[in-house]
Amino acid sequence: MFHQILLQIFQKLNKERTISAAYHVLRGKRSGQTIQDIGLFQLHQYFGLLPKLSRATFDEAVTLFMQYSWLKVQESGHFYMEKLGVQLAQQTPTFFFDGWQYRGNEHVFFARLSLIVQSLSHQIAEVRSFSPISRDPVTQTWVRSFLQDHHYQKGHLQQQVLAECTRVLNNLPVSDTSKQLVLYRLSGYRLPGWTWQQLADERKESVLDSQLAFIETLHILLNEVHQKGDDYPLLGQVAAGLKVKLLLTDSAQHTAQLYEQGYAMEQIVHMRKLKQSTIEDHFVELAMYEPNFSIGPFVSYEEAQKVWQASKHYQTKKLKILHEALNDMSYFQLRLVLAKGEV
Amino acid sequence: MKLEQLLHKHFGYSAFRPGQKEVIEAILQEKDVIALLPTGMGKSLCYQLPAYTLQKPVLIVSPLLSLMQDQVEELKRFGEKRVVALNSFLSITEKRNVLLYLEQYRFIFTSPEMLLQQQVQEKLAQMKLGLIVVDEAHCISQWGFDFRPDYLRIGEWFSKENRPPILALSATATSKVVQDIRETLSLKEPFEFMYNVDRPTIHLGRIVLEDKADKASWLMQHIKETAGPGILYVSSRKRAQQYSTAFLQAGIRTAAYHAGYGAEDRQFIQQQFIDGELDWIVATNAFGMGINKQDIRQVIHESMPANIANYMQEIGRAGRDGQSALAILLYSEGDEELAKFVVTGDLPTPHHVDRYQELLFQQIQPTQMLKNGELSETAFRVLDYWIQQESTEQVKARLNHLALEKYRAVDEMLKIIQTKGCIREHLVGYFGQKLQKKPENCCENCGIHYDEIKKTRLKEDKKIEMVPWESRLQQLLLGI
Repeated sequence: MFHQILLQIFQKLNKERTISAAYHVLRGKRSGQTIQDIGLFQLHQYFGLLPKLSRATFDEAVTLFMQYSWLKVQESGHFYMEKLGVQLAQQTPTFFFDGWQYRGNEHVFFARLSLIVQSLSHQIAEVRSFSPISRDPVTQTWVRSFLQDHHYQKGHLQQQVLAECTRVLNNLPVSDTSKQLVLYRLSGYRLPGWTWQQLADERKESVLDSQLAFIETLHILLNEVHQKGDDYPLLGQVAAGLKVKLLLTDSAQHTAQLYEQGYAMEQIVHMRKLKQSTIEDHFVELAMYEPNFSIGPFVSYEEAQKVWQASKHYQTKKLKILHEALNDMSYFQLRLVLAKGEV
Repeated sequence: MKLEQLLHKHFGYSAFRPGQKEVIEAILQEKDVIALLPTGMGKSLCYQLPAYTLQKPVLIVSPLLSLMQDQVEELKRFGEKRVVALNSFLSITEKRNVLLYLEQYRFIFTSPEMLLQQQVQEKLAQMKLGLIVVDEAHCISQWGFDFRPDYLRIGEWFSKENRPPILALSATATSKVVQDIRETLSLKEPFEFMYNVDRPTIHLGRIVLEDKADKASWLMQHIKETAGPGILYVSSRKRAQQYSTAFLQAGIRTAAYHAGYGAEDRQFIQQQFIDGELDWIVATNAFGMGINKQDIRQVIHESMPANIANYMQEIGRAGRDGQSALAILLYSEGDEELAKFVVTGDLPTPHHVDRYQELLFQQIQPTQMLKNGELSETAFRVLDYWIQQESTEQVKARLNHLALEKYRAVDEMLKIIQTKGCIREHLVGYFGQKLQKKPENCCENCGIHYDEIKKTRLKEDKKIEMVPWESRLQQLLLGI
């Protein structure tokens, strides 16, 4: 699965970026460049899927791809897909990740659910003391008040959680083995979970692939819970607040506020004591994700049209080439136009 | 009320475990105490019980946040409500509230870092404490494996005139560490209690083999034929992985266990081991585990432990149920070199000292070294502390000295391995105690009839099979 995901990302970035761009997408790097790439190449689903992915693991996969003649990496780090690579990428299944919206928060959801299930499992076995699967005090506090709010002492909560979990899993368009995978990461009284290594051995795949299958299942589950909130009152609470509403980075959010208050870009640079280029990154982010943000003050309509024509003519979104073609425009203007998209 | 009655009333136990009563009585006589008790032998009770007769708050200084959380939860399970953890997890508002009502708690847990804060110090100075507990006291000593310089920074705080008695607790400490504890905490003629280190039911084997390959085939043979549950200690994560894969392929229910795994995975493995779903755990000896399994029958060392204290702690996990157990140490010539390499791998070097100074000169935060992964957190902590105290040359000399000490500890372990006399007698003697009586099948040198101790492995170890998700969900939530 890891290789298939990489192939998909590489295909989208083909000829336009370095291989590192794909690494940053998977790690969820919060830089202007990566955020911009997400929008330009439609990589939302992969964003931040593996925040702890090591460079070594990534490079290992790239080396393998080169050995298989799936892609070629140039000295500059730019790459292009070979015919075989493109073919294989087209044969990969469609995945249903939602990295951009959840940004690793699926793990918060699962930590809460794990502790709830573990607590209920011990309660029904009448075992009062156990060592909590989540050591995070924030999660522990959250679960404690969840259990109390639902009067778990009466002993009915188990049935309700069971009913909701069964319903949601039955409604998910994923394989039974994926559901099993999620269930075996939960634990209870005399029912230890399975380690990633054990699960991967059982599924005859790598640990990374098992972890990705787990994340995908959780994303699909969370989407189901969010879409039909009324059907899942309990899970809806467990999943509450985990969808990232503001699609901007915190810093860009701050810049946006100042801009809305009427400060000009130069003033914001001064006020925030940040580099001009950083603030420019924020504006590009705004152009990409804030439908109401107008690039008018920075670029005229005619200029924007020229950019789009050039982009079509040269078949590229590479700034360097566009800048050569339209040398009276700044890089910042070009990025704004590309980010806003054709109108 | 008598101590036994208090014990039953608050904790539901009917009798003290070895050492607890002596320690508690000394505390109640307002003596300073150093208590060395192994993990799982009821260390915490030594301050938990006195809290109910002292009528004044007990302050517990604990360096590990997760441990602190465990202890708070343990007390809450016993029904204690007046317990608080004053640590960096608290928000500013929470902290203010806790400080405001601090004297109303019976148990106050805190970290050495917190004690450095002025507002905390001021508040504590106004209060009358019944007892100060220093948990994991070996962290005080620079010879301890988890040295916390913050303890030295608060040393003064412990030397105040009219302070309450101090109880220093640790599971492992050599005489050198004990001396450091005594001095840093300014203890006044402390009562020292040390548990009886000898475990007569653990038989001490030592087998000399040619090389690594020999060890591997010996182990494979041994593990196929003898019964667990057991722990195999190895020197690296990679080796742990290799052995566990090999054992799994031979149909032995095994898992590797090391710091490279996430917290959940580690808990899953411990639980599987305790529940009897696993027969062997292959663990790195650099990594301690809070495992409390009573019926471990074998502990095998594939490579040399870093020091005698670690060896004792590791073999001490066997036979907690009082039944006989087997500890086997495999040795091939030159193993001490690898052990020396491993034990100093975590120490800062003269090169790190220079790097630190270089970064300071360039006006870069030295913590950058930590972020770059140039050295471990423990190593950085040690480096950071000494550089602020001493000159570059002094620090280098000190680090050199630290490395030599670690080498010496390995050599001491080597002496135990190479002794021609009774291994048990040597071990016990190292801790300043005298062996009372040699058990049957005492040690390799006294003679062990392995056939009398080891049990044959039953072939029908059932591999745990996965059940469909629906069944798993029901098992978890309905217990069926």
